[in-house]
This record gives sequence, structure tokens and C-alpha cells, in this order.
Amino acid sequence: MARTLVGTRIRENRRARNLNQKQLAAIAGISGSYLNLIEHNRRGIAGKTLLSLARALEIDPRSLSDGSDRALVDRVKKAAFADREIKTELDHAEEFTARYPGFARLIGRLQDRSDRQQQDFAALSDRMKNDPFFAEAIHLMLSTITTIKSTSEILAMKPAVPDNKADRFLSNLLSESERLAKTATDVLKHFEPSSDVQNNSPDNSPFEALLDQNHFFLDALEDESATIAEIIDKLDLNESEAKIARKSFINYQRMARKFPIPSFLPMARELSFDPLRLAHALSSDVPSICFRLAHLPVAQNTPNFGLLQCDGAGAVLYRKQLQTFALPRFGGACALWPVYRSLSIPLQPITAYLDMPTGERLFAFSYSYPTETAQIGMPARTESLMLFTPDYRLFQSPNHAGLPQLPVGVQCAVCPRKDCSARRSPYLLGG
Amino acid sequence: MGCNLTKSVVIIEDEPYIVEALSFLLEREGLTVSSYSDGAGSVDFIANHSPDLVILDIMLPNVSGMQILEEIRRSQKLSELPVLMLTAKGQKKDQLAAEDAGVSLFMTKPFANDELVANVWELLKR
Repeated sequence: MARTLVGTRIRENRRARNLNQKQLAAIAGISGSYLNLIEHNRRGIAGKTLLSLARALEIDPRSLSDGSDRALVDRVKKAAFADREIKTELDHAEEFTARYPGFARLIGRLQDRSDRQQQDFAALSDRMKNDPFFAEAIHLMLSTITTIKSTSEILAMKPAVPDNKADRFLSNLLSESERLAKTATDVLKHFEPSSDVQNNSPDNSPFEALLDQNHFFLDALEDESATIAEIIDKLDLNESEAKIARKSFINYQRMARKFPIPSFLPMARELSFDPLRLAHALSSDVPSICFRLAHLPVAQNTPNFGLLQCDGAGAVLYRKQLQTFALPRFGGACALWPVYRSLSIPLQPITAYLDMPTGERLFAFSYSYPTETAQIGMPARTESLMLFTPDYRLFQSPNHAGLPQLPVGVQCAVCPRKDCSARRSPYLLGG
Repeated sequence: MGCNLTKSVVIIEDEPYIVEALSFLLEREGLTVSSYSDGAGSVDFIANHSPDLVILDIMLPNVSGMQILEEIRRSQKLSELPVLMLTAKGQKKDQLAAEDAGVSLFMTKPFANDELVANVWELLKR
């Protein structure tokens, strides 16, 4: 089985370099017939021959050894076993891994992620079944709902209930409604993810987790009291995570240096946190200003801005959600958000008030911009971003008086606006 | 069992507003209603009141409704007493456990008032 990997791998690498067997054999200093046997897995190789072939193919000799690829083949096979409905060519797993190592690694990673998510789900399910607080809370909720239902039916009876009784039952309804609301809030708080859970989530990058813990303002990069290397050292990251995090930290540092808070914040207050006016005053681009506005120090007289950045397909590129306004991680949000409307009108800002189903109002500024140069007959790719905040009273200007007020939601599944023309999926929480 | 023409019901339930609603509904039907809110001592309460029917919640303080039901069925005096069990735990296994313990009828919360009243009369006729 080990030979299958090596021989096939040699053949694939040779073909990738547009070499025929005769050419490779000559470079490696072995006969063409011997190479043929090796490639067809009829001969194993080691030592000098292995090194010669690796050198000839300009690859790491370790990639021709059995070690790590055995683990990859096992993961590919595990993925195949996990879904028996799809008939896979299991006998060719080694050859597949050797031929298409990238796809094999992708399958392995997806299987690992699926395993992790199943473990998380099982843990959560177990917790919900066995959590005494949760069981008690659900029982309490059902009891209060029973009272509310039964009492409401009594009040709706014909002939009507005598007034003294009706007053009593109305009072009961009020008490139980308040108790139900409190219990529901307690349940939500009980299951709020901790920062540890967020850090351990495979879909939350270490950079995102660090931002979240620090309210999206990194003092150490703002005042340069620590280097990026020092910050990364403190996080427990593997090599690829560190590489991605480094890039994100560099971008943050660039923003902090370009718009240092001591000068930016006073100007922002003076210009009513208006991205267009700030961009003009600072001779900068609007997206950079929006990013700076979304990363301000927490202060009583400073609005807390959320930010959503998406590409032309609506896929989320960057998000800073607010406690009162959750953002999707990948997509599928309310189609009425101005961030999506902006995509069709690049470089033209949209400002509006967003009226949420909860009754909350947010101020939103959306802006889309090209990310490449347009070519004849092919419009440029665009991205869009939306800056939003409930703290608009801190910077309200006369220009805001006539702003459109858009009734929006978060996601169709949890939005009670049943008659919304943009609805894509049913409301799951309604009757 | 009750020895006058007015049928009587005992409600064993710790949620006072549910007791209030149930009492109103059943008194409106001409029934006499008594209630008790603690699992401990509820079997004695039932024995002392000699009702025609018991409405019993499963989740009670100190002693569960299931234990009370079992004790009722073990008691010579109360073994034939109709028992309507109310529960927020509506899983099939809970219903089966209650049936094994000798429940007369099993209803899940929240319930419709008219269905509850209909079930009470059904049990009182038996």
C-alpha cells in the first residue's frame, strides 16, 4: 500500500513538470525501465534512489515517504465511511490522495470540521438535556404559558366573566407575561457564548476573537506599545493562523497610523461622524474612514458603530456586529439592508434609518466601491459596506431630518414581517 | 368518594395562577374545588377531602406527581380514584410511565380549557 502512494506520486510530479519517463530517468541517474516499475508500484524506493528522484523532480524527499500521507489517506477514507449513501471508489483512495493531494487535504479538512461540529452539537445537545437550569426554565415557561392561555380563554368566554373576576384574571395575565419574559431572557443569557467558546470555534479567527474581546479597539496597536510579533506570540496559533492574523494586524496598524485617534476623534465629532465629510477633510477614501469609525475607543459620547462589508455576491468579508444588531457570518441576511442596494450604485452613498422589528432604530450609511479597474464591456467588481449605529442622537445633523426610514429585519427565518416583499424563507417562530 | 350530589375535585398544583384558572372553570361547572400546592402531604389531603377526581401535576415541590399517583394506587381507600395528570413534560415516555403507574388520563400543558373540562366530566362519569 505504501508503494502505491510513492509510485503514483512520482508519476504525477513528473507529468506536472512535462517530463517523460526517459527524461526523468536520465536526470535521476536510473534506467527508464526501473523508473517504469517504480511508477507502476512494482518496486519500492529508498535512500539514494529516492533522493535522486526527489532532486530531479525538485520536490522535498519527505513528500515521497509514506508518513504524513498515510494520515491523509485515512482521513479521506473516514470521509467516505461517514457518508455511506454516496458510493466512493474506496479502493482508489491512495491513488486519489497521491494524484490530487490538494483535494485530499480539502476533504480531510472538511471531515475534521464536520467531526468537530458534531462533537460541539452533541455537547450542546447533552447540555440542553441535562442542564438543570434549562430544564427548570423550560418547565417554568410552559407553566406560565399554560396560565396565559387558560386565563385568556376564560376572559374570552361568553357570557363574559364578572368584572371583579376579570380584573383578577387580567392581573394574573400581566404577572405571568412578565415572568415569561424574564425567564426567556434568563435562558438566552444562560446560553450566551463565552469568549472561550468563540475562541475555540473553528469559524472564528483568532483576530476576530481578539477584536471581540477588546471591543474592536486594540490599544497595543493604537499606541504601538507592542509589536505585531509580540501580540501574535501571546496567542496560541499554528503557522497558517499566525500568517492570516499577521495580515489582519498589519491592516489594523495601518489604519491606526493613518488615522491616529487623538486627531481623528475630535475631527469626527466636529464633522458629525460623517464618512463623506471626513473622507474629504482627510483626503482619504470612504471605506478606510468607515473602518476607522467602526474601531473607536469605547466612550460615553462616542457612538458605537457596527460594520458589515460584503462582496458583490453578498458574502460577508468583514463584520462588527452590535449586541442589538446581529450580523450573519456568511450571508443570507435581510435583503432590504442598504448595504446590498448600494452594490447597484457604486460610489453613491445611501443614508437611512433602519427600523427593526423590535422597535429599535439605527442610523445606517452604505457605500459601495469598485475593487478593480473596469474594462470595456465588463463592469468592475464591487464591494459594499454598511456602517450602522443606534447612537445617532450623538451626532444627529439637520441633514438627517428627511432620511428614509426602512423597515428591515435580520433574517427571514426570525423576522415577523410576514408580508415583506423580499421574504425568501418562512418565518419559523410564527404560528 | 363524594357522598352528596355535588361532585368534588382536588387540584394538586403548585402554580397558583393555574389553580385559580382551573378552580374558576370547574366551579363554573358546578363542581366543588379544593387545592393543595405541595407534593408532601398531598395524599393525606386527598384522603381527608374524599374527592370524586384528582387533577395532579407531575412537577411538584418535595414529592413528584408520579410518586403521589403510585401512593394513591397503593392506598386501599384511594386506589380507584380517577386521576387526571397534567404535565409540561409531554414526551411519550412520560405518558407511558404515567399509564404504568395507573393514571386515568394524561394531558400536557398548555391545554385548551374546554378539552380539560370535557375530560373532567368524562372521568367523573366513569
